[in-house]
Amino acid sequence: MIARDRNWLLVFAVCAALAVIYPFFADGYQLTVIRDALIFGLFAASLDFFWGRTGILCFGHAAFFGIGGYIMALVTLNDAIPVGSVLGIIGAVTGAAFVAAIIGYFLFFGGIRGSYFTIVTLAMGVICQQAAISWSSVTGGDSGLIGIPPIAFDLGGMHVDLSQDLPSYIFVAAIAAVAVLVLWSISRGRWGTVLTAIQDNEVRAAALGHNAPLRLLVTFVLSAAIAGLAGALYVCMAGLVAPDLSGLLLSTEVIVWVAVGGRGTLLGPVLGAIAIQRAQQTISSFNPSLWPLLLGCVFVIIVFVLPDGILSIYARLKSLFKGRRHAR
Amino acid sequence: MSDVLLQAENVGIRFGGLQALEGLNLMVRDKELCCIIGPNGAGKSTFLNVLTGTLRPTSGSVRFLGHDIAGLPLHRIARLGIARKFQIPSVFPSLSVEDNLKVARWGAPSPARPISELMELIALTNRAATLAGELAHGQKQWLEIGMALAIEPRLLLLDEPTAGMTPQETLATAEMLLRLKGEFSIVAVEHDIRFVRALNCETLVLHQGRRLRSGPFHDIEADEMVRDVYLGRR
Repeated sequence: MIARDRNWLLVFAVCAALAVIYPFFADGYQLTVIRDALIFGLFAASLDFFWGRTGILCFGHAAFFGIGGYIMALVTLNDAIPVGSVLGIIGAVTGAAFVAAIIGYFLFFGGIRGSYFTIVTLAMGVICQQAAISWSSVTGGDSGLIGIPPIAFDLGGMHVDLSQDLPSYIFVAAIAAVAVLVLWSISRGRWGTVLTAIQDNEVRAAALGHNAPLRLLVTFVLSAAIAGLAGALYVCMAGLVAPDLSGLLLSTEVIVWVAVGGRGTLLGPVLGAIAIQRAQQTISSFNPSLWPLLLGCVFVIIVFVLPDGILSIYARLKSLFKGRRHAR
Repeated sequence: MSDVLLQAENVGIRFGGLQALEGLNLMVRDKELCCIIGPNGAGKSTFLNVLTGTLRPTSGSVRFLGHDIAGLPLHRIARLGIARKFQIPSVFPSLSVEDNLKVARWGAPSPARPISELMELIALTNRAATLAGELAHGQKQWLEIGMALAIEPRLLLLDEPTAGMTPQETLATAEMLLRLKGEFSIVAVEHDIRFVRALNCETLVLHQGRRLRSGPFHDIEADEMVRDVYLGRR
């Protein structure tokens, strides 16, 4: 337990150090690529916080990403609202959390678990995307909303403006690091242990006095709030919001990032998101239609061969050698 | 009458066309130990499910310290001070022995017994870091009893605590319970006569969902009717 925590912190420190020195070697374009990948990494970590600890798969997590994005866009595009960036982020986080609370309340307290939960959340994602397309007077319909300003706010007399590549990269990297660290400290302590117990045997956990549905709900809401935050960051960096951001494709992609990076590790999904998006750009430059095919194959291989993700290769090799030594 | 902890009155339950339980009464006083026995299908587990509030009786009532507990959510019942050990050992397999006990303790309104003492009581001190899924069957049963104790119950309900245990483990479990007697009330549903004999307490015999006999175990054991039912003569 202690050794595992130490290893995690070590990997985290290495990643953080890489993130700090990266700007010295990268040009503006490369910085923005990694910045956007980090935002999706944060999104992947939010899904992992829920899926990894509860074992319940949400197949519509992009809905919360999209809700966060649309709220951020609507708030910052409205000139009547002062300090749009700050209020936009707060609105995006609470909006996503609010929707998750309502849907989650009925699902968790109604005893919906496992595949049924996955199917309902899948439908939720589709509904969100359709709403974004159909409600065109507010959401801009199919083409979405454009011209979303970069994040800018005043912090203790200092004006922070994230229209440049480097400041926006630093801002996103810092938020991602803090969020992953916070999610990790929640999920390794008492909260996470009880969630693991609920995943093992919910009835038993309840018979010991734990309010399992409430705990699952709070975890889901927190996960959705972080997804909403990622959505809000993304639309400001990209400058536009579109129905795709709450769509089925993104919901599927985020599941692949988490599965590839390693479910339940929080850091793995961030790395998975970065690596896969990098691969996507390279492969799509040869042939755009090749990517979905490869993505599907990678997902199937990961599920069958490495169900604990790429980070588990090291642990697997170690146990393999250990087993050999014992056999001798 | 203030020391009555659990009172089941005229409990009946019907599943479709099957009258599973009929007219059962049970009174458990504070710090009392009692057993419910009966042949397979007598309704022992069903009765226990009613006593823990998991099943709502179709007639009659179950009151714990004066509260009607039928239909309360499981965690609320646990927080009233009712602990339960399930028939199939249901520990948390992906957590260590220590974490299993911790999870149990965190659920309690006011845990008092330290983890180390619990582990000693269930003889698992040297397995603290072992994953519960890797324990032997008997050890899982003990761990589950330890988890039930961790919530500092007023009443401990045990559903076939010795199922699948070796004769030595069965007697060790009976000794463990006799040591705990006097700290809280215990109701054990059992199938194994040796275990009940070792406990030698107030016993309720069920047969086909009804009370057949009740009284101290040595009277029950001598009863011709009970012997007939157990031997399958009736």
